[in-house]
Amino acid sequence: MSLLLTRGQVVWTESSRQACQVEDLLGEGGQGGVYRVRVADRQAALKWYYPQFSTPAQRRVLETLVKRGAPTSRFLWPLELVSAPSRPGLGYLMPLRENRYKGVADLMKRRLDPTFRVLTTLGFELAHSFLQLHSKGLCYRDISFGNIFFDPATGEVLIADNDNVTVDGEGEIGILGTPRFMAPEVVRGAASPSIQTDLYSLAVLLFYILMMHHPLEGKRELAIHSFDLPAMNRLYGFEPVFVFDPDDASNRPVQGAHDNLFFLWPIYPQPLRDLFTRAFTEGIRDPLHGRVREGEWRAIMIQLRDSIYYCHHCGAENFADPARAAGGICWQCNKRLRLPLRLQLPRQLVMLNHNTELFPHHLTADSLYDFSRPLAAVSRHPERGDVWGLKNLSEIPWSVTPPRDHQPKMVPPGLSLTLQSGTQINFGKVMGEIL
Amino acid sequence: MIRRPGGELASRPLHFIWICDCSGSMQSDGKIQSLNNAIREAIPHMLRVADENPHAQVFVRAVKFSDGAQWHVAQPTPIADFKWMDLQAGGVTDMGRAMQVVAEQLKIPPMSERALPPVLVLISDGQPTDDFSGSLAELLNIPWGRRAVRIAIAIGEDADHEPLKAFINNPEIPVLQANNSEALVNYIKWASTAVLKAASSPASQSQVMAGGGSNVQVPAPPPMASAPPEDVW
Repeated sequence: MSLLLTRGQVVWTESSRQACQVEDLLGEGGQGGVYRVRVADRQAALKWYYPQFSTPAQRRVLETLVKRGAPTSRFLWPLELVSAPSRPGLGYLMPLRENRYKGVADLMKRRLDPTFRVLTTLGFELAHSFLQLHSKGLCYRDISFGNIFFDPATGEVLIADNDNVTVDGEGEIGILGTPRFMAPEVVRGAASPSIQTDLYSLAVLLFYILMMHHPLEGKRELAIHSFDLPAMNRLYGFEPVFVFDPDDASNRPVQGAHDNLFFLWPIYPQPLRDLFTRAFTEGIRDPLHGRVREGEWRAIMIQLRDSIYYCHHCGAENFADPARAAGGICWQCNKRLRLPLRLQLPRQLVMLNHNTELFPHHLTADSLYDFSRPLAAVSRHPERGDVWGLKNLSEIPWSVTPPRDHQPKMVPPGLSLTLQSGTQINFGKVMGEIL
Repeated sequence: MIRRPGGELASRPLHFIWICDCSGSMQSDGKIQSLNNAIREAIPHMLRVADENPHAQVFVRAVKFSDGAQWHVAQPTPIADFKWMDLQAGGVTDMGRAMQVVAEQLKIPPMSERALPPVLVLISDGQPTDDFSGSLAELLNIPWGRRAVRIAIAIGEDADHEPLKAFINNPEIPVLQANNSEALVNYIKWASTAVLKAASSPASQSQVMAGGGSNVQVPAPPPMASAPPEDVW
């Protein structure tokens, strides 16, 4: 399009005065286009705004963001402003997104089929990233499918479109959010986007990722013929009712139309269902105090990931529910599940599967949410394939007391202890027991 | 083995209909060729928009009008399977008949009761030669006709804006005036991407929107760069 940039064209970074040569148009959105550009000997991404969005207000927003810097490496953050001497317009440079990252739309269309482990990791990464952003007093304003990318093999997240981020309460640019994700009070025009409304949008996104459905689309959605803006405003803004609201059954999911909820909602543990219920009941009634915080989502996502175990009949991932001590029925093969051995730590209960790893998050007292390197991993005995152990990948020896044995043994780094119920393990800073 | 139970995100159908003027005057200055080319150009972009939107299943059709009106692509076709066959020009401008043809298909049935608002894009270079206003009223009287997002593109200086305005029936959405093939490509692309997106899954809501009073917030059309003089119709 003539209003945007053409291949080969050169624009300049404003402070470091580096030439950015346009290589390819990667995509176009409502505000402008994103290009792959070459800057010196490396590639980067350039967003270039349509003239009507190249405003002094947008420039001020970008200047603030560049000055503050990215909250974490998960944000494709504006690095530097870009302009061209010969033409009006404005843009900014940001890191290029690697190909392994895919959009959430691919997940919703089932073109990607990640494991529950990956999805809970994605949920954790989202909550953790937005916590870092919010901790800096910044508000994202537009959490939705289009702005989030993830690696379907690992669950690592990338958050794009950060040019709408503003200091909480100081937004002068007009982004209100994306329908379906906007908090009801924003839909109604009663509030502007803020950290509180981000929390609502985050809850919607997490619900979509885990339940493959919108939390407010039940019977009332089915009653709508033309699904247009007035209908959406009613459903998502003026009369929002959670599909599983314990006190209001008027918007329950309907078989045949909202099937994913029938399949997915029951297989998650009760604490997760309780948290979603709070997010979409109290969280709607009381935007200021009722919303589920990022820290709560972060905690439950890791709890959820630690609770995954495999059906010993068919291999499907299932979740251990603290309310169902004996294990339930496999969602895939309908056979009775058998819980594996598990490790009870002061703060967590972790299923010990063939591929379980334990991190500083689990085994040190002061490193919550540090998953940078494993300190222990479930391993198979090199000669006896039916014997499983826990291998010490840390730098310090563990002191282990097997059941019916009062003499502690040392497990130095690199060696494993045999997994058996009743074993007590002193990991140095925390104690654990195999159940 | 499947890894998770359930299926895709529940979605609704979105019907997108091109309504194309194939009257004799479209033969001059390569207009019909430009229109064919513009729609072909737009298809991959439409596919991308549909691909990125898990809330909608996009189906495309086309109506042509000259002496009478017929379905050019009658079957609601998923955008991934949509192939554009070139239109030929010749005859008068029975735009009213085209309204009736569309209205028949927007009744329930064949339309489903539940859907996203249809998108109707009317493209013309002239003025109706039949009873347009009566037929348009027929279309606007049926619920899906009224609920549809209606966009109109005028090709060249001779196009009569009045019937196109009446078709849009919303003072906040302007008739798009395409005076050269580049503008036509841009407007067709805009209608098949930005408008399609607005009707299926509204993007980020901002204060820079047109059409605030309608049931679908139609984004502001792209402003046009000035045309090179040899490319003016």
